[in-house]
Amino acid sequence: MLCFMFPGQPLSRGTEPADDAEYQTIRKLALDHTGLDIHDFSWNGEPSSESVALQVYGTAMSLYRRRVLSREGNRPQMIAEHSMGIYAALAAGGSIADSDALELTFRIGGCMARMAETGDYALGCMVGLTLEPLLAIAENNGVFLANHNTSRHFLLSGERFGIESAVAEALQSGAFSAKVFPCDAPLHTPLMEASAECLREIVSGYRYAQPVVPLLNHIDQDFLAASEVQDFLLRELLLPVYWEKSYQALRSAGGTKLIEVGVGDSLKKYNRWIDSEAARS
Amino acid sequence: MSEELIVQVKQLIIDSLRIEGMSPDDIDTDAPLFVEGLGLDSIDALQLVVAMEKDFGVIVPDAETGSVVFQSVRSIAQYIADNRK
Repeated sequence: MLCFMFPGQPLSRGTEPADDAEYQTIRKLALDHTGLDIHDFSWNGEPSSESVALQVYGTAMSLYRRRVLSREGNRPQMIAEHSMGIYAALAAGGSIADSDALELTFRIGGCMARMAETGDYALGCMVGLTLEPLLAIAENNGVFLANHNTSRHFLLSGERFGIESAVAEALQSGAFSAKVFPCDAPLHTPLMEASAECLREIVSGYRYAQPVVPLLNHIDQDFLAASEVQDFLLRELLLPVYWEKSYQALRSAGGTKLIEVGVGDSLKKYNRWIDSEAARS
Repeated sequence: MSEELIVQVKQLIIDSLRIEGMSPDDIDTDAPLFVEGLGLDSIDALQLVVAMEKDFGVIVPDAETGSVVFQSVRSIAQYIADNRK
């Protein structure tokens, strides 16, 4: 069974150039609905943050890749998503239009960017530690688990000073890699409650149709119904992403061929780790 | 350090990272593995750590050691040659 997996926000711009008709269509759609030219990251009108640009770019490239895959005859029977990959996933499932996916990404990103005006936040990418010491480090430093990607790959989120000290403690504790990445807002943590009103207003402004392709959500691994989408879009910003469980659920549901539809190949690499760990045990 | 070990390391990279359509001959022994070259990242590095332990009984204990070991195929092979039991 063919599954499309939509990744979250890329941490940097992709290096693969595209210049075909589908790309130009998505480029114009992004420009019209967000003001960002994804080709050179310039803004038509008031510029937003680099994080918002990456978020819009991530959604746009997922929409583009999905169109290319569709042209090549690939029809998914299931869809999964990671973090902000939800907007392109909803579009791929027929729940919202591509233009709405871009607009939602931009508006939610903008709402999060406003959190950076009053706070200083960061992400901590942790590789190598297991969950238990990782959670202890998060608690010691007042930050939160944002992504549980595999048994050894996690993302922490929170205030910058907490993330920086958590990264230092993780390295002292034997993490294979621990790095700080900038962000506008403490995505996937309870701290997002501070922007809940703004976020709720945004997600309530769209109509969500029943996905025509089953769409697995990354919180509790259920398939989203139209009536649940609005609530999920808010809830997912406050709760961690559970990718390992999502991948296992995709496999259990019959997924055999999984294609990552977006920038980079992080999900594919997480899946490889999960598979190899299962083979070792 | 033997040429055979160099080829084994290249095959370990291909197999453990599931790199499709590539043979050991396609990998430059001295090219950087991360960012440039094969463009590997920390997710790949941990996968290689596990594979090295399984196939050669060699442990890369921490990030500092890893940053030296994973510079190139040659540096991985050298580390294995120096540390395997």
